[in-house]
Amino acid sequence: MIVFEDAAVVAPDSGVTILEPTTLTLSERHISVIGANGSGKSTLARLINGLVMPTEGTVTVEGKTTRKHGREVRRMVGFLFTDPSAQLIMPTAAEDVMLSLRRTVKGKDARMRAALEALESLGLADRADVAVSALSGGQRQLLALAGVLAVAPKIIVADEPTTLLDLKWRGHVGALLRSLPVQLIEVTHDLDSAMRAERTLVIDSGKVVFDGAPGDAVQFYRDLIFGRPEQTQRV
Amino acid sequence: MNPTLGAYRPLRTPMHLAPAWFKVLLLALVSVLMIFVQDMATGVAFASASLALYLSTLPPWRTALKAILWTFLFAAMAAGYQLWRGEWQLGVDIATDLLTVVFLALAVSTATPMSEMLDLLSGVLRPFRRFVPHETIGLMFSLLIRLIPEMVQILGESRQAAMARGVERSPRAILVPAATRTVGFAVDLGQALHARGIADGVVEERDEVVDSELPKSRRARRALESRKARRRAAR
Repeated sequence: MIVFEDAAVVAPDSGVTILEPTTLTLSERHISVIGANGSGKSTLARLINGLVMPTEGTVTVEGKTTRKHGREVRRMVGFLFTDPSAQLIMPTAAEDVMLSLRRTVKGKDARMRAALEALESLGLADRADVAVSALSGGQRQLLALAGVLAVAPKIIVADEPTTLLDLKWRGHVGALLRSLPVQLIEVTHDLDSAMRAERTLVIDSGKVVFDGAPGDAVQFYRDLIFGRPEQTQRV
Repeated sequence: MNPTLGAYRPLRTPMHLAPAWFKVLLLALVSVLMIFVQDMATGVAFASASLALYLSTLPPWRTALKAILWTFLFAAMAAGYQLWRGEWQLGVDIATDLLTVVFLALAVSTATPMSEMLDLLSGVLRPFRRFVPHETIGLMFSLLIRLIPEMVQILGESRQAAMARGVERSPRAILVPAATRTVGFAVDLGQALHARGIADGVVEERDEVVDSELPKSRRARRALESRKARRRAAR
């Protein structure tokens, strides 16, 4: 369970509020987060695994605050970025997954076996020794996911994981993420994918302006974007 | 893109089966030896042997052809310059030195996975762990290698963007966006390292070094533990 208690983020230099004090409890298995560019979605997502620290309030994951227990929280929370290229560090696919396992699996052979299992589970077994730079965008995103899943996180935060993918890979990666037996927090511009969640948050100007059923949330978001003046905050 | 990056393939050639330390030692010794080899016939023999060794690793033929052609081109340019200065013997010497070292380096990189190279580097630096963060340096090298194809791609895209705007003759129009994007990529990479818990590993490594040097007295141990706790809290 993820708990935000008056968690706010203010830019240290400019004093601009990126996320206003937010109080939320996220316990559903699949939660989607939607909102315009620059609305604060990614900041909210990054708060969950301590990539961004709240300047006020706290964020707690499974009873551990990100500020005090950052390392433990990051072990529980896997993070998937929009651009997988930045997430892949080693030259080949198997070596990259092995890097994730460096702290948890002792012995090179055991690490290689675990890495191959992780790749096989996502259908990338035949790509194990292929250079990361030679993989397609969809395969890179799958590889980034394999690196995350290899360490068995309890929660996955995916920050627009399908934005750079074509229709085929978007469907494949999206379906795969939803099928995982972990809690999924999905930041997305794909409203179809957002609709498949159990709960949806709408963020606007650093504020959670809607929190509820995906259908209503998407409708609220459309109204917000296309300027219905009668719409007000509905949290 | 550099065709040899990530060219490793898991095969069972003699070069693949040789331990990483042997291959690196061979490369280092031959590189030093080539400084002293002045005889043309010996130089040509070394270059031919290195090329044969590279081909014995059974690299993908397209990659190998590209790498060999580029190496010959650079060697010819270096030799041509010396020829133009009237020092043809020196030209041949430089060309054979270059060919030998590059083909041998290609053989080593094609037959050795990056993880083995990192383990070797970490192992070599381990005795100096009090002064040098050995795992961090290993990671730094892999990041460096990983960044090369990304930077080549960023430069290519910046050049194309400049061409599209009709300002391809202005170095600033290429270099400024390329530099900005490279910094952006580095920031993303840093965040990804943090998200994958790899940056935490670096901190653990530092703590391990401190642990191995724990003072014997209980009071001094307590003081050190409390210093470590304060450092964690500050993080």
